[in-house]
Amino acid sequence: MTLFSLRGVCRDVPGRRLVDGLDLDIPEGVVTALIGRNGSGKSTVLKMLAGQHAPSAGSIGYAGQDLSRWTPRALARHLAYLPQVTPASEGMRLEELVALGRYPWRGALGRFREEDTAAVEEAITRCGLARLKGRIVDTMSGGERQRAWIAVMLAQGARTLLLDEPISALDIAHQVEVLALLRTMCREGGMSVVVVLHDVNMVARYCDHVVALGAGRLVFEGPVSALMTADTLQRIYGLPMTVSVQENQVFALPGS
Amino acid sequence: MTRLLLPLAAGLAAVLWLAAALAVLPPGAWPARPWRAETMEVPQILLAYGLMPRGVVALLAGALLGLAGGLMQAVLRNPLADPTTLGTASGAQLAVVAATILAPGWLVAGSLPVALAGAGAATALVMALGARRDFAPVTVTIAGMLVGLMASAIATALTLSQGHYLLSLVMWNGGALTQQDWTGVWRLGAVLLPGLVLAALLARPLMVMSLGSGAARGLGLRLVPLRFGVLVLAVFLSAMVSAEVGLVGFVGLAAPAIVQGLGARTLRRRLMLAAVAGAVVLSLADGVLLALAALGGPDLPTGALTGLIGGPLLIWLLPRMRSRVPTTAEEGDRHAPRAPHPGRILWGLAALTVALALLTLIGGRGPEGWGFIAPALRETFLPLRATAILAAASAGALLAGSGAILQRLTANPMAAPEVLGVTGGASLGYAATVFLIEAPGTPALAFGTAAGGALALAALSVHALRRDMAPARILLAGLAIGAFAGAVLTAIMASGDRRSWVILGWLAGSAGRVTPEGALALAALALGLLGALLAAARWLEILPLGTEVSRALGLRLSRIRPGLVLLAGLATGVATMLVGPVSFVGLMAPHLARSLGLVRAAPFVIASWLIGALLMVIAAFGARTAGYPYDLPLGLFATLIGTPWLFVLLLKRSRS
Repeated sequence: MTLFSLRGVCRDVPGRRLVDGLDLDIPEGVVTALIGRNGSGKSTVLKMLAGQHAPSAGSIGYAGQDLSRWTPRALARHLAYLPQVTPASEGMRLEELVALGRYPWRGALGRFREEDTAAVEEAITRCGLARLKGRIVDTMSGGERQRAWIAVMLAQGARTLLLDEPISALDIAHQVEVLALLRTMCREGGMSVVVVLHDVNMVARYCDHVVALGAGRLVFEGPVSALMTADTLQRIYGLPMTVSVQENQVFALPGS
Repeated sequence: MTRLLLPLAAGLAAVLWLAAALAVLPPGAWPARPWRAETMEVPQILLAYGLMPRGVVALLAGALLGLAGGLMQAVLRNPLADPTTLGTASGAQLAVVAATILAPGWLVAGSLPVALAGAGAATALVMALGARRDFAPVTVTIAGMLVGLMASAIATALTLSQGHYLLSLVMWNGGALTQQDWTGVWRLGAVLLPGLVLAALLARPLMVMSLGSGAARGLGLRLVPLRFGVLVLAVFLSAMVSAEVGLVGFVGLAAPAIVQGLGARTLRRRLMLAAVAGAVVLSLADGVLLALAALGGPDLPTGALTGLIGGPLLIWLLPRMRSRVPTTAEEGDRHAPRAPHPGRILWGLAALTVALALLTLIGGRGPEGWGFIAPALRETFLPLRATAILAAASAGALLAGSGAILQRLTANPMAAPEVLGVTGGASLGYAATVFLIEAPGTPALAFGTAAGGALALAALSVHALRRDMAPARILLAGLAIGAFAGAVLTAIMASGDRRSWVILGWLAGSAGRVTPEGALALAALALGLLGALLAAARWLEILPLGTEVSRALGLRLSRIRPGLVLLAGLATGVATMLVGPVSFVGLMAPHLARSLGLVRAAPFVIASWLIGALLMVIAAFGARTAGYPYDLPLGLFATLIGTPWLFVLLLKRSRS
């Protein structure tokens, strides 16, 4: 099944073309990694998938309907987006921030029901933040804050999660935890994830499908098993990489 | 087109000046150098010692203000900051007003030393407050605005109490560029040159600082001395202008914004070009007035009219401006600790408001002195008092509510109802009615005011409804509309017509003229606004988190933002219509609510609403009793009560 289908998608800013004629299908129910060098257009593509920016040309279909035809709240119930830099949330407690994720369901006026409280509770627990309830989010550590924002996405109850470098502020234990959580949600909860990542080995370990961009164009698309060859990695990153296998784990290191 | 804008405008200013000069003397009769006043004809003296230095002073003063504005916006990291933000000009104004009325002898040597002393005192106060927080931008901005509000409230009170000095003060306040010799040129020139050099030297550290205090410290920048130095430089430059030619508004705000709209990128270039743009805008405004005067028109103060040129220019350039990074909390800007029991604070505020309203209803000052109202008078006086108190409280609640909306929507601590330009438009409508209709009645005045406010609101909505118009730009558009209206208003006031008294009285705000029906309508609207605020509480909670998160959570920003702006504009317009432009409440009440530790949207908006009503209940009492049997201006008392309260809270917070 196709989750997103992009046809001739371009994105221009004055004087520069960030994304140049992208034709692409992103599958449903798997973890898709969006990789590429800095400035290759990964974040721009993710923002367009999230409906944050409209493409300058071309069309993006989501779940069989053009993205521009979704109403904002209906889209937010299906699709959650985590920006690369999360904003400061002055004075808000953890559970209050996470509860904002219920906005698409309850709107400006709807009362909170039991299911909303339960969704908030579950999101906090799944992100391993239960013991931090009552804390002001701005006083938490970078990793805790990042997980609090992921909890907002979970509380949103969306079937599709889009994350822009969600693990860049986390230590390796929390990196593994977050990516494992995303993978579990796809495998068991039937959700779909598109995530911008930099670490190829994390991609190899936790993702199913890979889309690689270079200068706003598609460089590689395919299953993660096809990614881990010295030739493909050289094409994506422009750097010789050694790929080796140890105990059934593929990993890549810079250098030849 | 945009590239040619500044040269074209400069050329136009030169042509206008030349037209004025030629009206005085044909080119053949111009005095030859070296000038010797004793051998020159009167028109020659007028040209050599009047018009010529005036043209240069316009250039120099404009350049100084543009530069000061650019520096101020860079160091306070707020596109709404300008040289008047720190209360410098208001301090100078208060000193001159006070000296004119209380000690005219001090002005024998000219207003310059007095004005400089006033500006210095105001700045010292702001710096003393700012020093407690390492001159953090938001704190300095709020402290500066408070000092400014306070000083101009006192100056207005003095002016009103001694009306016969009004005209000369209005002329000074309006920034008259008239010159008698070249000393003003030399003085301003002597400031501008080192100012430009220092600004060029400070550009690089300021650029580093624009990365945010954390990154700047990482690059080895010492923040506190830099902030202090830049603030002092900017204040000094603008104080020299205030002292030399009086209050010249809007140039300091518009020049850096215009330069941004023209696409200047690096900070050094922006600062230098801001000086050029300031010089051009002020010269053009002065040229228009000179040409008008040469054609037999009235002689108007230039400084007040810069809005006529700068306002439309800024609005035209706004869509071209790149949206800026929103001001985030800087190191040193600490928020008030979150209140553990917001409900108790809200109940306390509500109880206090009701109790004070009842107390001021039955108590007060009468012919027999202080005391409760005599039983015999109750039937006549209580309805009158009740009407005034209800109208004042409702207007306060409306203004505070719209201030709360704007501060949440834009995440800008300088956002306030008057920034939307609705107040300016309404004032202009009122003034037009007073001048166009012979002895207008209340319905005519109300209609005129409403029409003016609605027109300003319509002009603003044209901007707000454009797709994805960033809130910061909406505020700038509102400021430009307000400056334009203010310029016209000052021109009317400076004409010295008797009718300007009526306008001045209304500008100060009064609840005395409201009818019972009007008061009830205001109260109903205030309650309606409270309902709307609570209904929008979730939006107001999410909006400060920024565009991306708001969109990701499904907020339809293209409708919610203009809707909230219009709601705030309407609330402001209605309140202004009935009690006059009592604008400080809309700025102060939300800040007070925040300082009480009310963080979440719902308690914050309720508290702002209540504090607005509370401030105005007290202000109505003060206005009624302090100058008994005359009503004093309402807005004045609201400012005099609100600012010290906020000072205390600011100081307390910095100690904890």
